[in-house]
Amino acid sequence: MKWIMENGTVLIPLVLGWLAVWLLLPREKARSRVLGSLFALGALLALQVALLPPAGNFVRDAMFYLFSSAAILSGGLMITDRNPVFAALWFALSTLAVCGLFLLNSAPFLSAATIIVYAGAIIVTFLFVIMLAQQSGAANYDHRPVQPMMASVLSFVLLGALLFALQEWGGIDGKASDEAQTGQFVALDAKTNANLFSQPPNSNKTEIGSMRVLGRSLFSDYLYVVELAGTVLLIATIGAIAIAPRRSQGTL
Amino acid sequence: MTSTALESQLVVGAILFALGMIGFLTRRNLILIVLSTELMLHGVSLNLTAFGRYHGNPQGQVFTIFVLTIAACEAGLALSLILTLYQRRKSLDVFLWGNLGEDDLPVFSGGGLPPQPKSADPNAGLPHLTPAGSAPATPVTKT
Repeated sequence: MKWIMENGTVLIPLVLGWLAVWLLLPREKARSRVLGSLFALGALLALQVALLPPAGNFVRDAMFYLFSSAAILSGGLMITDRNPVFAALWFALSTLAVCGLFLLNSAPFLSAATIIVYAGAIIVTFLFVIMLAQQSGAANYDHRPVQPMMASVLSFVLLGALLFALQEWGGIDGKASDEAQTGQFVALDAKTNANLFSQPPNSNKTEIGSMRVLGRSLFSDYLYVVELAGTVLLIATIGAIAIAPRRSQGTL
Repeated sequence: MTSTALESQLVVGAILFALGMIGFLTRRNLILIVLSTELMLHGVSLNLTAFGRYHGNPQGQVFTIFVLTIAACEAGLALSLILTLYQRRKSLDVFLWGNLGEDDLPVFSGGGLPPQPKSADPNAGLPHLTPAGSAPATPVTKT
């Protein structure tokens, strides 16, 4: 009991979030949408009060709250929406919110690239397939999830473990006790070179995320990995071309 | 400029990952299963960029670019596979492919728990070998 009282800040949003997701998951009977939405809002508020403390800068905090709430809410709506077309659109909204969070992390190039690749390419092609396959909207199998109870409990147990680990860890800035700090992340030595092409890192911290620093790291430290990623793309393209066509109808 | 606390971003990444996991486990639509894995990848990318921002090096963003590359490959392959599966059964339901397991395993057809196998075989409790490979051709008998 004492343990529950002490860890209420983590437990309350977890339990509320689980109730919301479990109530809102599609099922054959009528869902209690109002109750689920109330639980979801409560979970979000409890989460922001308990786990996302403001960092001091008002504009930045407001944007962080806005983008993170949008990402979480649209992610939840994506997994609970019956209609697959709407689910794909909610996923697009979630992608946009995550791109906003990338912007806050000073990654403008990554944000633009993610919008182009996900919202521009992946969502559109998936929507094409959905429209091709399900022209009548939600099908029978979209109303019947697979074991919603077990899946949601399992996922929220995992999430609770992650959040408790984060709380026990206590943060990088040294507010944790001494024992908990043994698991701190250590920054790499500046002299560490990945390969022959590596160049000494730029010590100017304001330039992180600029195209110059990013490209420099990408094509010096990670040159081999870039080549490997290109090879993987090529192989995936060949595989997709080999798998997709209907041989019985003579398209390849 | 103060940066947003690292832990807050890790919390958001963990929540996105858990939501994607619920979607992956519960949805029966093939396309939504793949989209849920993309949601999980979003959570991971958020963690990577937050750590890159915290440590002040571009490695987090470089790894996110690689995640993006692999996600694009995965989406292309998944789409071609889904199209092939759709042309076979004319449906996007996963349970239509529940009979891809071994012959003596129960076919998982949705609903609650998977149906229990019938124990008509008297040797059911004993260990057995699963028949593998194709059956040999029957010898041609001269008539």
